[in-house]
Amino acid sequence: MQPFAYSNSPYPIRSDLAEAYRHAWQKLATPGTWWSGGARVAIAQEVRNAQECELCSARKAALSPFAPTEDSHNNTAALAPEVIDVVHRLTTDPSRLTESWLQEQLGSELSVGHYVEIISVVVTTLCIDTFHRALGFDLEPLPEALPGEPSRHTPTGLEEKTAWVPMIEKLGETEQDLWPQPRMANVVRAMSLVPDAVRLLKVLSAAQYVAMEDVPNAAADGGRAISRGQIEFIAARVSAINDCFY
Amino acid sequence: MNSQLAGETTNLQAVRDGSGVTSGVPNGELLSRLVELTLDRSSDNTAELAEIREAIVDAMDAPALVDAAAVIGNFQRMVRIADGTGIPLDKPVAMISADVRDELKLNEFGSADLTPAPGPIGRFLGRHLRPLLIKGVSMGRKKAAAGD
Repeated sequence: MQPFAYSNSPYPIRSDLAEAYRHAWQKLATPGTWWSGGARVAIAQEVRNAQECELCSARKAALSPFAPTEDSHNNTAALAPEVIDVVHRLTTDPSRLTESWLQEQLGSELSVGHYVEIISVVVTTLCIDTFHRALGFDLEPLPEALPGEPSRHTPTGLEEKTAWVPMIEKLGETEQDLWPQPRMANVVRAMSLVPDAVRLLKVLSAAQYVAMEDVPNAAADGGRAISRGQIEFIAARVSAINDCFY
Repeated sequence: MNSQLAGETTNLQAVRDGSGVTSGVPNGELLSRLVELTLDRSSDNTAELAEIREAIVDAMDAPALVDAAAVIGNFQRMVRIADGTGIPLDKPVAMISADVRDELKLNEFGSADLTPAPGPIGRFLGRHLRPLLIKGVSMGRKKAAAGD
């Protein structure tokens, strides 16, 4: 059976939502820009492990999330411990990450491209799992990884003055589809070191929220069953609970 | 403090303090409760979540519940992208939202340091641009309703 069939759902699931989620699962299983398909699925598994992780719960409650510890994360040991820690922190306590913490993580094993792709996998998994949790559905089993090598594609036109990670300032020839010129919001550009992460973001945003090009138009509601005011109220409430300044 | 969220008058205190505060948004308290229960992983709240889903379907309809769940999922992304990459607020947003951020004490969030506070001129422009933005939304809605 194909994923996200929702055949037993008591609620009518829009076909574009199910299609977007199937697309995301297929992308999750496919070798990315910096990680293999197997590693991407393992990162997704760690997103799920993090939500049941005692170390993450203790850290979340602690005054500082960076106190030394000998405890380890609840994990499936398919990734290096440093990568598992990055995934767990992004999943459970993102609002207390710092630039110096990120710089300490980066090295020969974890490039900034690897890091941006980890964020992409974390948010993809979490946004779909959260939808299931809100509706009382079981989590979709993670996909089987597909073979192949990461592309290691680095886009042109990057700038490094705005954020902790390089972001595209001027779209190059192979990235013209990412957003309409000349500008895009920082939250989208933040993922642009890995252009495929932006492409996936666009697909999921269009199905779960409104199409990216409609975001600035506060009258656009994407034909949803709730008003744009209700949409923005929910968005603001999620962000407030998550301590999201942005 | 009341403000406009996509053209609807909203008590912004409900955004910060949650479902116990009247939001002014239609069914805002139910929607806020759905958000709170979905994001709270500290205990097993399966039964409460089922109750709030039923209440939303009764008060609105099932497609509204599905769309609300999708928005909750979508915005799980924002904090992780924004605070994981250290981006500041986009300049126009920083300008028009300065007063609201003060009022809601959003500047207490750790990542607020990433966005420089707008100066007096920025705040002045922000205050005067916000009503124009709201007027634009209202006109857009009227045009949409008229089928233009």
